[in-house]
Amino acid sequence: MELLEYAIVGGILYGVFFSLVGIGLNLIFGVMRIINLAHGQFIVLGGYVAWLVSRHFGFNPLWSIPLSVAGAIVVGWPLYAAVVPRLQRSDDPEMLSFILFFGIGQMIEALTGMAFGADQRSLPSEALGSGNIGVLGQQFPDSWWIAAAVSVSCILALYGYFSHTRLGYATRAIMADRDEALATGISVDRVSAIAFVAGLALAGIAGMFVPYLLGSVSPDLGGELTTTSFAIVIIGSLGNPLGTVIGGLVFGLGTMLMQTYYSSWSNVVPYALLLIIVLIRPSGLLGKEARHA
Amino acid sequence: MALLELQGVESGYGPMQILWGIDMEVSAGETVLLLGANSAGKTTLLRTLIGLLPCARGSIRFEGERIDALPPDQRIRRGIAFMSELGVFPSLSIDENIALGGYFLRDAEVRRRKTRLFDLFPALAAKRRDAAGTLSGGQRKMLGIAKVLVAEPKLLLMDEPSSGLAPVFVKQVIEVLKTTIGGGTSLLIAEQNVAFLALATRGYLIDHGKVRLSGTRAELESSDTVRETYFGL
Repeated sequence: MELLEYAIVGGILYGVFFSLVGIGLNLIFGVMRIINLAHGQFIVLGGYVAWLVSRHFGFNPLWSIPLSVAGAIVVGWPLYAAVVPRLQRSDDPEMLSFILFFGIGQMIEALTGMAFGADQRSLPSEALGSGNIGVLGQQFPDSWWIAAAVSVSCILALYGYFSHTRLGYATRAIMADRDEALATGISVDRVSAIAFVAGLALAGIAGMFVPYLLGSVSPDLGGELTTTSFAIVIIGSLGNPLGTVIGGLVFGLGTMLMQTYYSSWSNVVPYALLLIIVLIRPSGLLGKEARHA
Repeated sequence: MALLELQGVESGYGPMQILWGIDMEVSAGETVLLLGANSAGKTTLLRTLIGLLPCARGSIRFEGERIDALPPDQRIRRGIAFMSELGVFPSLSIDENIALGGYFLRDAEVRRRKTRLFDLFPALAAKRRDAAGTLSGGQRKMLGIAKVLVAEPKLLLMDEPSSGLAPVFVKQVIEVLKTTIGGGTSLLIAEQNVAFLALATRGYLIDHGKVRLSGTRAELESSDTVRETYFGL
C-alpha cells in the first residue's frame, strides 16, 4: 500500500513536470502545424542555462527562468521570422518542418557539445532546498515540489492567456481554423510568432528542472526528450495544448508505477502508452480531429 | 466612385484557375447579389476579395485604392468584412467570437459595440459564455452577423448566409440584414437562394468563373437565364 502511495504522489509530481516538458511542442504544432523536432534540444539549452547560472555564476538556478524566457525571445523571434512563414507557404509544412527542425536540433546538439563538452552535468541539489516534503507519508525532494509548482504555474498562465486575453482568443481561433482567423482580421503572423516564442520559453523553463528530475543534463539528451514529449502530446491530444496536461499525468503515473513495481520496464512506458492510445483512440485522450493528413 | 471596383480579376487555387477576368462594382450603400450555382466561383471571388487567395491578374480597388496586394487584416482595417459560410469559431464562446470580430479595435470600444449588438440579438446575450458550436443553425448565423458587425464595416462580404438553414430562418436572416443596410453598410452576398434578390439593388450571375449576366433586380428577375437556372421555368 505504501509503495502504491509513493508511486501515485511521485507520478503526479513527475507527470505535472512532464506536462510542461511537452506543452511547448503542442502549442507550436497547434498554432502553426509545424513539428518542432528540435524541442528536446531547446529543453537541454534551458538545462545548460540553469547550469551556468548556478554552477558558473553561483546564483539560485531559479534565475534561469527569466533568462530562458529572454533567450526564447532573442532566439525565437528571428528564427520564427526566418523559417515559419516560408514553411507555411509550402505545400506540406508538416513534413518540411520535420526535416528543417531536425537539422536545427542537430545544430543545437553540436553547439552545446562544443560549448559544454559531452559530459553529463548535474546541479547542486541543495540549491532548491535540501529537505523533503511529505504527503501521505511519502517523502519527495524539495526540487520535485518546486518543479511541479513551477509547471502548474506555467500551465495556469497559459490557460489564463488562452481564456482571458484577446491574443489568447486569437491563438485558439488560429488553432481551430486558420483561414477563418485570417478572414476575421486576426494578425495571424504576429499571434503565431508569440506562440512560437512561448513554446520555446516553456521548453527552456522545463529544461531548468531536467537535471533535478532526470539526474543530469547532457547534449545528447535532446532526442530522447523530443520523443518523450511527442508521446505525451499524442497521448493527450495533438493540437490541444491543455490536453498535454492529461498526457503528462498519464505518462508520469505510468512511469512511476512501473518504476515501483517493474523498474526494468519503466523506459518502455511512454511508447507502450503511445501504442495503446494510438490503437484505441488515435486522436488522443482529449482529441477531436487535430489533423487530416 | 464605386466603393469596390474589380477589373479583370483572375484567381484560383495554385495552378487551378477558377476566376477568368471578373469586372464588378459595388457602390456605397448598395446591396449586390452574387448569384451562381455550386462551384461557379462565388466563394473563390469572395476569398480573393478578402485576401485569402491571391489575385493573380487584374485589380481590386476599395475606395479608389488598390488593395489586391494587402494581407486580409489590412483589408479588414480599411472597412471590409467577410462572413464565411461557417461564419464563427464553434469552439470559442459567443463573447470571444464577437471580440475577435473587432480584433483591431480597443477593448473598450469592443465592449461598447458588443453591448449594442446584444441589444440587437438578445438570444445571443443570454448565451454569451456558451461555445458557438452549441447554438442552433439560425442562431449561429446571427452570431456570424454580429461578429462581422462589430467591426462596423463599410462593405460586408457574405458567403451563402442561407446555407444549412430552414426557410423560416432564411427569412429571419434576411430581416436582420435589412436592418443592417439601414446602417449604411454595403453588402455583397453570394447566394444560390434567389430569395435574397428581395434585398438586392443589383446582381451578377456568375458561371464557370465569369460574369454571365449583370443588371438591376428587376432585370435579373425577368431574365430568362436566371429564371431557367433558379426558378426552373
